[in-house]
Amino acid sequence: MSRCLSEEALERAAAELADDNERAHLAMCVACAARRRRLTADLAQITLTLASAPVPRVDRRRAARRWAAIATASAIAAGTILWVEVVAWRVVHRMPDAAQAEQIAALADVSTTLFSLDGEPARVHEDDAVPALQVDDDDEGLDEDHAESGGAS
Amino acid sequence: MEGWSGYEGLADAHYGRLRRLCALLLGDREEANEVVQEVFLKAWTLRNGAGAPNDWGAWLTRVAVNGCRDRRRVGWWPRFRRSDRVEDLPLRVQEPSPADLAIGAEIQRHIWEAFRALPTRQREVFVLRYVEDLPTAQVAATLGVSEGSVKRHLFRAIHRLRQTLGGRR
Repeated sequence: MSRCLSEEALERAAAELADDNERAHLAMCVACAARRRRLTADLAQITLTLASAPVPRVDRRRAARRWAAIATASAIAAGTILWVEVVAWRVVHRMPDAAQAEQIAALADVSTTLFSLDGEPARVHEDDAVPALQVDDDDEGLDEDHAESGGAS
Repeated sequence: MEGWSGYEGLADAHYGRLRRLCALLLGDREEANEVVQEVFLKAWTLRNGAGAPNDWGAWLTRVAVNGCRDRRRVGWWPRFRRSDRVEDLPLRVQEPSPADLAIGAEIQRHIWEAFRALPTRQREVFVLRYVEDLPTAQVAATLGVSEGSVKRHLFRAIHRLRQTLGGRR
């Protein structure tokens, strides 16, 4: 005699999905037949409720309020992330002007080398020249130098 | 269906059944009434025409299920705006249903919760197979799916309903 069926196999049988072996076992096993009767009783109870009990109203406003709360929380979270990205993050990780100027100068060198036609660095026309950058640190240094030289003269 | 008397007979035989079916699928009695009205309006239009079906019961069921699907697609706003109107409230205390007499209120509440938590297709299959007591082949024809698909959905519905109820009893 084969082993008793699992609850899932009994439910498969109720849905007409049992195979031949399972059907054969159900036909002769007293224990499984009793469990199947219990399953049938469960389904009858569910069916009776669905068929004759008054259909309860769904509180759609409560569901809508829940969704509104979720939507509000999501909007706040998105706003916070945006604020961190736009304001807070840039304040914390602000790139120094001197470093930015060095990077632009380095990029100008690389581009000059890459686009030279005769092996020499391409001649930079005045129109194409990278405008001189005003670097605060250097300016301050120059001012100091100028002040010193002016003081000496 | 011949004339007005035939139509009345059809309504008498199927109106209550379809209203219950739609209420189960939509979870809203008012919407269910509207869908059933539309179904019978279609039946009235078709009653003597060339496209009149041979099996009115099956036709009405199929049109009602499709009507419920269309309603669900409409969206949540019209339902959200609908308030509990005075005319919806019961005027007298209702007599206990057979289910009330046989099954405790708490178990019934769990059954409704479990049923409403099912996916739409599983709910449709379970209602047509058990509440409407249709054979698998007819359920498949009504929903426009294969018999194998009906059986698989039915198995999942049974499994989930029993799992939910089993955990609480």
